[in-house]
Amino acid sequence: MLSRVADALFWMSRYLERAEHVARLLDICFLLELDLRGVMAGPHELHWTSLAAILQQPVSATADNASTPQALISRWFTFALDNPTSIMSCISRARYNARSIRGTINSAMWKELNKLYWQLADPEFCGRVRESPHEFYEAVECGSDLFQGVCDTTLNHDEGWQFIQLGKFLERADKTLRIIDIQYHLLHEMTDPADLSLSNLQWASVLRSCRAYEAYQRFYVGRVEREHVIEFLLLHPSFPRSVHFCLEAAARSLAAIEGPVPGRGLSKVDRILGQVLSDLKFVELDQILKNDLHTFLGNVLERCAQVTRAVQEQYSLH
Amino acid sequence: MIETATPSVEAIQNSLFESYHLGAAYDEMFDGAFHPRPHYQSLCRLLTGLSPHEFRRRKAMTDLSMLQDGVGFTVYRQEEGIERVWPMDPVPRIIPAQEWQRIERGLVQRLTTLNLFLKDVYNEQHILRDRVVDPQLIYDGGYFRREFMGAKVPRDIYIHICGTDLVRDSQGQYLVLEDNGRTPSGVSYMLQNRQVLKRVFPQIFESYDVRATEDYPAALLDLLKYIAPAGRADPTIVLLSPGIYNSAYFEHTFLAQRMGIELVEGRDLLVDQNRVYMRTTRGFERVDVIYRRIDDDFLDPLTFRPDSSLGVPGLVNAYRAGEVALANSIGTGIADDKGIYPFVPDMIRYYLREDPILPNVETYRPLVSSHLSHVLANLDKLVVKTVNESGGYGMLIGPASTASQRAEFRELVRAKPRDYIAQPTIQLSQHPTFVEDHLEGRHVDLRPFILCGEKITVVPGALTRVALPKGSLVVNSSQGGGSKDTWVLAK
Repeated sequence: MLSRVADALFWMSRYLERAEHVARLLDICFLLELDLRGVMAGPHELHWTSLAAILQQPVSATADNASTPQALISRWFTFALDNPTSIMSCISRARYNARSIRGTINSAMWKELNKLYWQLADPEFCGRVRESPHEFYEAVECGSDLFQGVCDTTLNHDEGWQFIQLGKFLERADKTLRIIDIQYHLLHEMTDPADLSLSNLQWASVLRSCRAYEAYQRFYVGRVEREHVIEFLLLHPSFPRSVHFCLEAAARSLAAIEGPVPGRGLSKVDRILGQVLSDLKFVELDQILKNDLHTFLGNVLERCAQVTRAVQEQYSLH
Repeated sequence: MIETATPSVEAIQNSLFESYHLGAAYDEMFDGAFHPRPHYQSLCRLLTGLSPHEFRRRKAMTDLSMLQDGVGFTVYRQEEGIERVWPMDPVPRIIPAQEWQRIERGLVQRLTTLNLFLKDVYNEQHILRDRVVDPQLIYDGGYFRREFMGAKVPRDIYIHICGTDLVRDSQGQYLVLEDNGRTPSGVSYMLQNRQVLKRVFPQIFESYDVRATEDYPAALLDLLKYIAPAGRADPTIVLLSPGIYNSAYFEHTFLAQRMGIELVEGRDLLVDQNRVYMRTTRGFERVDVIYRRIDDDFLDPLTFRPDSSLGVPGLVNAYRAGEVALANSIGTGIADDKGIYPFVPDMIRYYLREDPILPNVETYRPLVSSHLSHVLANLDKLVVKTVNESGGYGMLIGPASTASQRAEFRELVRAKPRDYIAQPTIQLSQHPTFVEDHLEGRHVDLRPFILCGEKITVVPGALTRVALPKGSLVVNSSQGGGSKDTWVLAK
């Protein structure tokens, strides 16, 4: 496979996955807003600010003279083309990458991505985001689901498909880690019983941000508890959005890309991924929480970044 | 039961055809008395029975389909390329079997000749020595590649893929307007149009036996394998594209996908010891055949334009050394140079000793002094074309021109007579086309695609381009043209 093509597959997949996360985070923010009204008096800026922190993209206030922080932040992360993390930017980049390799992906995949792009480029559809944000953000999520479905069921699961998986799972792990990190930081001080219902709402939103709410319920059959949420999203071996699961999937894809080379030792990527996976496999949550969750997560994040860099180097993608 | 009666003139005029006019141009569907021609009767009956609402719905489905499939081209304004979808009109153009047979024979005759001509011009040059074509015309041609004299090309084929533009005059006679023997495009639209029309308007296929065009990518692939360097049993074939900003990029991806070959850009390839390799995740992989969609000028900065970053340094030498095959070959532009075009009928007689089956459009060459004076005196009636331009650029359409445009061309033609030709303004045939909520006549041309490998084949279909603005005679996509599915009937 051409190096350039592998690179475009990897980033196409990452950007689409990113767009999906941004859309869901925004969607959850709007929904949470409604719930919070019954719990405490407004304004509720906390979860909007945490959004910017998760996405690591300071809101550029000059770009917009929106009235409320909510309107400002949601517009910045939905439409702003000068924000590389906005949904619009991500979808455009995913599509740009896909366009440059239309000969490699199949026409059904291209069509789904292109449909999504044109839907979001439609001024009428965008105009509705104010009245029904959910409709808008769900369209992004749905577009991403369709794309992945078509990809998995129609594209040959060869090297190219593995690069798509690699991009997707590295991005998903990255976003899940950041969500846990920021939310834990914001919420861990809410230990007062009076804050309980607020904290519950917030942690349920964290699960929803990772599309894990229902899976969590079925697994724990109980109230949403902070430790369980972290355990589930970070360490659960079979939930397809947990960090553990994502990195294991990334490692599998990498192994498939490298292929069996008898006598060859471990590559740099193998080592980094192997170490981080054994941490996730054998560590106990109590221990992480006792030490420092933030440091632990930061460490995993850094190693994910190292994996991306090493992959780029090894397959001369840039 | 399917109704088979011919719709009456009254019924036609009370339908979508309400404001349809027959003018001086040949009408593809109707004869002078507003009766549908035999092969259009079923289609006409179906259209007559449709409400504007229903037709608009089909048209909207067509547009959506084209948008979602990303059937775009890029137009250039200043620096920035803008993505556009090429509009497709859902009323198909129909060509009866017998008419097609003649077109097919004419095209095979023409491409056979052009390939003989290229071989001759780049080697012995009999035709120049016999003064059938003036050698000076060749040497002054912008697309003549002196660097390529005496080179041996695989199987002696220069033009492997040709797209020839045909038009019909007011009598309905097919004329060759130009040959495109460099990197002709449009075949993907031909295939895509059929695919879309089958999805949005299946009913209209019911009373016709339309020949399938699906085989084109497979035939092209066979051809590319056929020209692979000897000894490369399972050749690696790639399509070389200038990249995402090229106006025909959609077509490049479409064809690469259909053939299952890699779409590469110049930066993916390198030449080492006259062998071409591509950079893959597993190192360098040898490339044997390149279906190149980059013009000669940009192909290899070592041989042609040194400022080109689209091409591959050393590619031309690799080709000369026979280590890689190119389709089309280098230097084919001299055969579709508009200054050479007037001589193609003579070439057919010279090489094949046959009469041309498809005539040329009458053409004046300002190099000939009697032609020059005729051209200058009749600029308001003629179409003047720059010999090395395409895409509808560098043209003067006399009847639609202003005095200052004519003055400008008068100077240009005088200054560089070799660079221009002039032709009478042909009233291209018209075809029913959906406009807003009814059907109107719009001018069309016809571009069939011819492949030359082990033998010459013409795909039974073509790209019909339609000039969408009322009265316009320019069908190019960059100038407001659209396209139509084109049916070749089996019987």
